[in-house]
Amino acid sequence: MEGTLNLVGYGLSAIGPAIATGMIFAAYISGVARQPEARSVLQPIAFLGFALAEALALFGLVLAFVL
Amino acid sequence: MAMKDEGNALWSIFGYLLSGMLFWGGVGYGLDKWLNQGYFLLIGLLLGIGAAIYLVWLRFGRD
Amino acid sequence: MRSLFRLSGEGEGFVPPSSNDFELPPVFGDNAFTTKPIFLVFLSVILVSVFFLLSSRKAAVVPSKLQFAGESIYSFVRNDLGRDIIGHEFMRFVPYLFTLFTFVLTNNIFGIVPFLQFPTMSRVSFPYVLAVFTFVVFHYVGIRKQGIVKYLKDIMFMPGVPKPVYVLLTPIELATFFLVRPLTLSLRLFANMFAGHLLLLVFILGGEHLFQGVLGLKLISPFAFAFGIGLTFFEFMVQCLQAYIFTLLTALYIAGALADEH
Repeated sequence: MEGTLNLVGYGLSAIGPAIATGMIFAAYISGVARQPEARSVLQPIAFLGFALAEALALFGLVLAFVL
Repeated sequence: MAMKDEGNALWSIFGYLLSGMLFWGGVGYGLDKWLNQGYFLLIGLLLGIGAAIYLVWLRFGRD
Repeated sequence: MRSLFRLSGEGEGFVPPSSNDFELPPVFGDNAFTTKPIFLVFLSVILVSVFFLLSSRKAAVVPSKLQFAGESIYSFVRNDLGRDIIGHEFMRFVPYLFTLFTFVLTNNIFGIVPFLQFPTMSRVSFPYVLAVFTFVVFHYVGIRKQGIVKYLKDIMFMPGVPKPVYVLLTPIELATFFLVRPLTLSLRLFANMFAGHLLLLVFILGGEHLFQGVLGLKLISPFAFAFGIGLTFFEFMVQCLQAYIFTLLTALYIAGALADEH
């Protein structure tokens, strides 16, 4: 076995954003399913939340390769 | 129609974040190599993330 | 990890599958152009052509089974990927989307067909070429539709931003459209096929190695094989999904280039 521990660390740190993305879209889907007319209100919030969670995941990815 | 909007938006968001981080992080990495410093990379990455999230807000966040 | 595999009787350790397993030797002599993936690409072209020629040759109002299979794939690509996403000009792009979908799908499925068992797209050059095609198509379409100046201006300058911020945002937009889009398109396909094939190799070769060990390890090896079989079905799902996503993203990019404002 060879490799770097950075990637193990990245794997661990990717759990957080993965759960976050799942929760954001679970809430978004159930919100739209209950009230379809609320979709245009919920959509930007869901996308921004997704962007923030995804940014953390990508930050970890870049740092895993750079550090 | 519904699938189209959301699928498109999600892939675009991913692309913006990735390219923001790659471009400004790359600039910071280059400055680090050039000036023998250690902090430009971090500044570049944070700047890239900030700009990319701002771009996402411009495209998908505002009404 | 090493010490775990040392338990297995003989001295020689288990060699875990690595990226070396993807570099197959040439079939004929030293000619580097006769490796297995290249033959698989030719085979896929022949298979796709023959299948769709046969299924559309005797087209009837009451379709035969073959015709039904061919037509349902075609109507899936035309309606779900073409019409719903690109909009009213979609007929121009259906041939490209259809070729792309069937080609990628066939080449992916080679990964689990017995005796072939190598997903062509796990060699990164093939997805690169497909992504270059898509890149050329969607930029060409956008430039033809809107003119080069307006097209580039639409990409580079997001409306409603104070002027100095463009220094920050324009490089990101350019990098997204000209670098990250084709790169992620090809790497997504490549990485999925590569990882899937590696996963199957780990379970099957690992199970085989366990089977050669002492009695306790022999008893474990059926579980490894069972997992390998289960993962083969999982891989089938991933392969279909990746072919779909590749085509879907191509259609989305074309639709984005055709739209007046992004």
